[in-house]
Amino acid sequence: MNAFNLATAGMALVAAFAAAGALAQGDAAAGRDKSRICAGCHGIQDYRNAFPDVYPVPRLGGQVDVYLEKSLKDFRSGARKHVSMQGMAASLSDQDIADIAAYYAAGSGK
Amino acid sequence: MKRITLMVLAAAALLAQRAVHAADGLEAGRKKAEEACAACHGKAGGKPVLPNAPVLAGQQPEYLVHALKAFRSGAREDPLMGPLAKSLSDAEIRDISVYYSTLPGLHTKY
Repeated sequence: MNAFNLATAGMALVAAFAAAGALAQGDAAAGRDKSRICAGCHGIQDYRNAFPDVYPVPRLGGQVDVYLEKSLKDFRSGARKHVSMQGMAASLSDQDIADIAAYYAAGSGK
Repeated sequence: MKRITLMVLAAAALLAQRAVHAADGLEAGRKKAEEACAACHGKAGGKPVLPNAPVLAGQQPEYLVHALKAFRSGAREDPLMGPLAKSLSDAEIRDISVYYSTLPGLHTKY
């Protein structure tokens, strides 16, 4: 890893910790209701997404809340591209996103 | 009868060879993952060290392949994952993805 990559990694690390500190508090119980819309694809074992690319949708149970929040916010802003996920995230508030992230991150239950 | 025995033997040999290839891939995936991914995603991909790094253990293998190729092509942007994915071959991406998918971690939640 050269000096530039190291510097980039360092900045990303600082940004990641800063972002982690600024999270809205998520409510997993509220997230359970709000995640009903996600379950149509993410709640089915091995469900395959057919558009825009064909591959199984990712498993979300047990995922890190900070990562889930970042993903949804990136889809909402268009920084991360996926036609269906950009459409889904467009209607979510910061609180909705925090709640949904808390729900998927919590425990090992269904 | 002789022909059937031969066919059975040939099929068994083919299966054994496949199993060996799969085991090789898994071992190669584990090695590469420990070298390239573990520093941020945690040992065995179950407990990420970097706060916004996702859990990889138990993820859908094809989803991981899709994500790594998107980072590699630049379709998905990330200051850390972009440069890392650019150093990976198709075979390495497949091996790493299959390796993580075999570990206990994420689950389908609804």
